[in-house]
Amino acid sequence: MDRKVIGRRDFMKSTLAGFGGLFFLPSNAKGQESKVIELKGKERKFVYRTLGKTGIKLPVINMGVMNTNNPNLVRAALDSGVVMLDSAQTYQRGQNEGMIGEVLKGRPRDYYVLATKARLPSNQTTGLYTEEATEDAFLKKVDLSLRNLGLEYVDIYYHHNVSKRESALYEPILKALEKIKKEGKARFVGITTHTNEPEVIHAAVDSKIYDVILTSYNFQQKHYVEVREAIARAAHAGIGVVGMKAIRGGSRQTPTVKNAGAALKWVLQDPNVHTIVPGYITFEEMNIALSVMEDLTLSDSEKKDLQKEASLPGLYCQGCRQCLGQCPEHLPIPDLMRAYMYTYGYRNLTLAQDLLLSLNLPTRICRDCSLCPVKCSIGFNVSAKIRDVVRLKDVPSEFIG
Amino acid sequence: MGSGDEGKTKKWAESMKKVSFAMLTFLVFIYLFVGALSDLLASSVGDPSFAFPKIAGWRLSGEVQTFSPQTLFEYINGAADLYLMYDFQALKVAEYVNEKKASVTVDVYRHRTPTHAFGIYSQERLSKADFIDVGTQGYIEDNVLNFFTGAYYVKINSFKTGPEDREILLTFGKKVAENLGEKGTPPLLLATFPVEGKVKNSEKFIAMKFLGYAFLHSAFTADYELTGKKFKLFVIESGDQNDCRDMIQKYLQQIGNPEKFVTEGRYTLSDPYHGEIDLHWKGRHLWGILNLNDQELRLKYLKLFQDRLTKKE
Repeated sequence: MDRKVIGRRDFMKSTLAGFGGLFFLPSNAKGQESKVIELKGKERKFVYRTLGKTGIKLPVINMGVMNTNNPNLVRAALDSGVVMLDSAQTYQRGQNEGMIGEVLKGRPRDYYVLATKARLPSNQTTGLYTEEATEDAFLKKVDLSLRNLGLEYVDIYYHHNVSKRESALYEPILKALEKIKKEGKARFVGITTHTNEPEVIHAAVDSKIYDVILTSYNFQQKHYVEVREAIARAAHAGIGVVGMKAIRGGSRQTPTVKNAGAALKWVLQDPNVHTIVPGYITFEEMNIALSVMEDLTLSDSEKKDLQKEASLPGLYCQGCRQCLGQCPEHLPIPDLMRAYMYTYGYRNLTLAQDLLLSLNLPTRICRDCSLCPVKCSIGFNVSAKIRDVVRLKDVPSEFIG
Repeated sequence: MGSGDEGKTKKWAESMKKVSFAMLTFLVFIYLFVGALSDLLASSVGDPSFAFPKIAGWRLSGEVQTFSPQTLFEYINGAADLYLMYDFQALKVAEYVNEKKASVTVDVYRHRTPTHAFGIYSQERLSKADFIDVGTQGYIEDNVLNFFTGAYYVKINSFKTGPEDREILLTFGKKVAENLGEKGTPPLLLATFPVEGKVKNSEKFIAMKFLGYAFLHSAFTADYELTGKKFKLFVIESGDQNDCRDMIQKYLQQIGNPEKFVTEGRYTLSDPYHGEIDLHWKGRHLWGILNLNDQELRLKYLKLFQDRLTKKE
């Protein structure tokens, strides 16, 4: 009897379907330790992990500082057990680094871990570096960061916002990174990505240059299985892995998840993620994030919250194309759903109308069907969305953008 | 009227009811749809249609790129979060090139209101920048010119422009500002900050969760330096007095000092994160001082602030 061989990827996908689209690891992951820290006269037990071959031991939650110019929030985070602060030269045009520098004055240098980053000009369409992206340009940015921070060195300097393999392996920047390590301006060097993460992570591993990877990773990413696999490869190669955008809900920017603590814990179920840098801007958000440092266990109700949010249809067609072939009029449903997303998600009517007009749709759409036979895999009311959005193609274009 | 007529009348009345109900539903649906659609159109069309200007000696290279709140991170990655907090609406990006292979990139960020555009601009400007008269206000440095005007924040970057860089940036800045229409004025509340000791161009607009508390809204701040002391003044302008009352009550609760009845006046708060803060409430305004231990100086500035706020009203 022939047996169908199921590859690892297919196995994981089928497992995901069984759990309603999410994958939960056991909460007692290897490679971590509990550390007792005394804070304001009280003893607290935090979960620590080691950032790959850097040997830096970090609590599993730290702080992304980019969204705040409130020095007292940063102080409070450090005083509550946070060790690593993450910034970038572009944040508030260097003033974010400047604020951190002020906060860190007077604190012993081994009291904190400072990570920052710089990016160089790249072509928006191709994602590849332009001729302005030179070794010298990168080195100048590193020096500017150190001046902004008032420090002689940072712990991690990242090659920032990389989305292509070619960019991850871009010679001038790799040379610059080696140089800043040699000169003692950075203890370790890293790379950051929140687009095409698996491609960039694999390239980083192949380069053998990077010590740390900072990557988007959350339970609403469509491709989180591939991200997880790439992270595993990086961690196995001894690269430290820092997670970001844990509560950003996929590619959406504003926090959309209802249970932020659960979203953070979900990422940390993966033992190959050594720490996360959520960007909190209130003391309440800080306390929610820091509570995860003490207990990574995902309760059943937290799992249910995450599963519910992961399967919410919302505005975003998942592009599974299972609807194709179901419509008797052979309407291009994935494209129509995309037009719907442009209209109500992106609020870009021009884009939506251009798309609708390019589809050569029939004059009568959905009117001849008393019952829509299309069953969307994530529960969209396809006919309602289609009837809603196709009206846009009849709106005079001068009324739009 | 016979029973047959009655029956017909009843039937007619019922069918009219159904028709009326269907029509009403239809009208409501149309109203909702039109309302939603016009809201969408407004957010897209409400601003004057902006066209990148023609600049002598330069041509547009490639397509104008557009970014929405959902895609902004593709252009400015993690920095996008802050722009979104300032109600970012849309970004248009154009690159110009000339025969000498120099290039100038113009980023035009549209925000929901002029105050939000000022806000994000203020987050990125340095008080010691080289300020120029472009738009409502702008500044220039090597290869960079940024300004705000109306609800727009514009960032211009140049490459390989050589010794003519400043002149080129100013040309671009002025032309773009012209095309963006009337420049408007800085937020009016900025004029209420006392002048003595204020660090010029240090004013900022914090769009939300001022001081790290969700119950405090947006605020304007300015830095001060006097007799070696550095401190910050702030003012929150609210929709109405009830909102101010609510903010103070929540703040008092936050610091473990709840009060059921809160009236206009002065509150001295011992904030565990920010230290001692003097907070005043009058009308639609809350104002206060951060990082100043000198009682006498605190009272002086709070009085100055109050006088200027009262004049504004």
